[in-house]
Amino acid sequence: MAIQITPDLQENIRNFEELFSDCEDIKKRKIKVGEHLGQECYIAYIEVSLSSVDWKDSAVGKFLGKLRTLPEEELAGYVKNNVEDISDADPFGTIEDAAQGMLTGDVLFFLDGYNKALKIPDKGYPGRGVYETESEKIIRGSNEGFSESIKLNTALIRKRLRSPHVKVKESFAGKRTNTNVDLVYLKDLIHPEMLEEIEKRLSEFEIDGTLDSGIIEQLTEKRKYSPFPQFQTTQRPDRAAMAILEGRIVLLSDNSPVALIFPATYNTFIQTSDDYYSRWEIASFTRALRYLASFLAMVFPGLYLAMTNFHTQILPTDLLLSLAASRQGVPFPAMVEVILMEIAFELLREAGVRLPGANGNTIGIVGGLIIGQAAVDANIVSPIVVIVVALTALCSFAVPNEEFATAFRILKFMFIFLCGGMGFLGFLAGLLVVLIHLSHLESFGIPYLAPFVGADLNGYQDERDTFLRLPLSFLKKRPVYTREGARVRLRLKQEKKK
Amino acid sequence: MFAENWKISLRQIRRLLILDLFGMSSLMLPGIFTSLTGADGIFCLLLGMAAGAVLLWLMGKNLKHIKTDYYSYMKETAGQFLGDVCMVFYFLYFVTLCGYVLYQLTTLALSWLLPDGSWMEVGLLLLLLAVYGSIRGIEGRARVYEIIFWFLGIPLLLMLVFAMGDVRTAYWTPIVTSDGVQFVQGSLAVLVFLLPMTVLLFLKPFCQKPEKITSSGTVALWTVILMNVLIYLILLGIFGTNAMGVLKRPVITLMGMVKLPGGFFTRQDVLMTAVWVFALFALLNTGIFQSTLILQNLSQKPGNRWSLWLVAVLTFILGKSFFEHSFLIEIFKSYQVFVALPGMFFILVLLLLLHQIRTGRTLQKGGDF
Repeated sequence: MAIQITPDLQENIRNFEELFSDCEDIKKRKIKVGEHLGQECYIAYIEVSLSSVDWKDSAVGKFLGKLRTLPEEELAGYVKNNVEDISDADPFGTIEDAAQGMLTGDVLFFLDGYNKALKIPDKGYPGRGVYETESEKIIRGSNEGFSESIKLNTALIRKRLRSPHVKVKESFAGKRTNTNVDLVYLKDLIHPEMLEEIEKRLSEFEIDGTLDSGIIEQLTEKRKYSPFPQFQTTQRPDRAAMAILEGRIVLLSDNSPVALIFPATYNTFIQTSDDYYSRWEIASFTRALRYLASFLAMVFPGLYLAMTNFHTQILPTDLLLSLAASRQGVPFPAMVEVILMEIAFELLREAGVRLPGANGNTIGIVGGLIIGQAAVDANIVSPIVVIVVALTALCSFAVPNEEFATAFRILKFMFIFLCGGMGFLGFLAGLLVVLIHLSHLESFGIPYLAPFVGADLNGYQDERDTFLRLPLSFLKKRPVYTREGARVRLRLKQEKKK
Repeated sequence: MFAENWKISLRQIRRLLILDLFGMSSLMLPGIFTSLTGADGIFCLLLGMAAGAVLLWLMGKNLKHIKTDYYSYMKETAGQFLGDVCMVFYFLYFVTLCGYVLYQLTTLALSWLLPDGSWMEVGLLLLLLAVYGSIRGIEGRARVYEIIFWFLGIPLLLMLVFAMGDVRTAYWTPIVTSDGVQFVQGSLAVLVFLLPMTVLLFLKPFCQKPEKITSSGTVALWTVILMNVLIYLILLGIFGTNAMGVLKRPVITLMGMVKLPGGFFTRQDVLMTAVWVFALFALLNTGIFQSTLILQNLSQKPGNRWSLWLVAVLTFILGKSFFEHSFLIEIFKSYQVFVALPGMFFILVLLLLLHQIRTGRTLQKGGDF
């Protein structure tokens, strides 16, 4: 049962300190206030969350300074009538709520004779601030990236979408971590069912802690066994803002620089922010290239096996002879060779990711150049397989979303086995499996393959932003994620006059 | 929201139907025409299309009266017993079709893609894939074919365009050499390959715009016939009637002969087999889905999975039997021409007549219009 805060300061202090006994990182101080320093108040905060030791410049310091100028009998009234209403300080009625407020990184203030505790925002928890994002690099556009602070992240979105229709719905996840989870959306654009659905899914689990948005992602995904992510992830505020403008919803989790965007489709994973900042020709070219890359990242080694082991008649004789010559002396069957190289490459990638920046690059060079060349010289693998594996890796890097690219990396092995065992039939069978799976997959009611399927839902308008990104003046309607009646994205003034 | 509402668009129905009808017809009809009518195959195709249009017209007439689904309409119009008999008829048609398509698909895969493979393994793989495709309902199935439609269509059209350069128009003659019986046989063969479009009758409850469902059938019919005419003219112009007579699947042989500009690929037949593998797979998928739906309707247990597995087992048994006993193929062909084909027309005409009689009675009794 919750402990109520009473006007008796000593009782409140006793209850609060009992709750936070043996917590040396929490600073608790009694301070005299009032013009004669005749009344006592009590503040508590996490050691690093207060900006200045002598409080001269901090919000709390200024607040306490003001209290020292007022008569003692007016203090409680002043706090109640002024501080509660005019600042962003939150009053709490119970010790537990107050404690929770303090754990968000703010300062807690108790005053003798006042039956509430005030949460006064100050510096808060230490964070990185706004840094350039490490992934999702773009050529043109903002380089700001999300940080670990949810407040900062919502502000970065708000900075881009200065509309009162942008709503931020807050909830908490994790019994022990009490992590803030914010849903950011444009109220007049979203399908309300999507918001209801995510709220339902968030309420369907209880977990001890959520330390990253990835945990929420996995717990709220409908098709848990699919290799394809059903939420789009981004570390870029401009990408998140763009998604919100399309009527999608962004989920932010405290302590995570990765925002989740839903609904997500194959097409949205292929899009990047600068697709819309660059001219349509180059945007379309790179978009088409990325589509091709996503396909080849999955099937290229398999196709190589099918063509060289089963259907050699497809290739010109010269090429075939060249391939055969390059394999001379290699002791393994082609399939084993490809698998060995693919595993070696995945190991290199994993090692490169885990090592610190400079070392990671070294691993790439050592692995890619030296080990690859040594393996070819030692006749363990043929040069053509090195080329195939390297090209496949390039293709997977060209997919702009890491989680999405991972799905293709995993499926690549399925294709290697199928094509290695059954040639082009295995390739077709694998393609059918993936196609059938993708056609059944959906993200919050939107088919994963939209707008290639179900394009009629939005009058075939969404197809203008798929393989090709048509000129912006053609993209007049928002995609199908936006509720009907709010899909006008662009209106040219001349058209309006007509 | 949008997905999982068991509704599919007209575009999806159109594409599904085109693939369903195109695969078998383009693969089999050139061979049939060669042995029956030679260059007159073109006229068989046109007459077959006319007969197909009549079938579609009859379907359209009945579709107008279907309020909920075809089974309910049959029961309302012809009574429970006749309705059940008709459903059994349709079930037999679709399940035998599944078996035959599985046999053709597996044989095609073994001939062109995996000559060393076993029928059992390849057939089972393809069947399991078809079951996987059917297991989640009609939406997912329709989406697969909606998305692959142009991926198959564009390369095929390009190949046909490149093949046109080698066509010798002299091979298109002589015409009007076949006798009436051969001509009718050829036309009936065309019509038999168009019969899977009766699936439209069952698709009305799944269609987003049910009032326009017949138009999808019309577009599919025209597209398939035009494609077949084009393919047959090219085949005839390149191989001639005599050479085509010895080819098992002339259209795929043609794909292997087309010289692409640039000359990187020396033979494309393996790659282009994908078109027919996907098209036949679409028909197999349709057959399995439809048979399962009919079985579920008859057993009055919608959504149960055992119907699907029962259909899968029957399909496999039939497919394997067609592979092992060639006389069964002849029986199947006779069944298609002498039972399935007239049966389809008969049911549609009967239902229309009974509906007219019932409506007339209602009017006489002073019932509502």
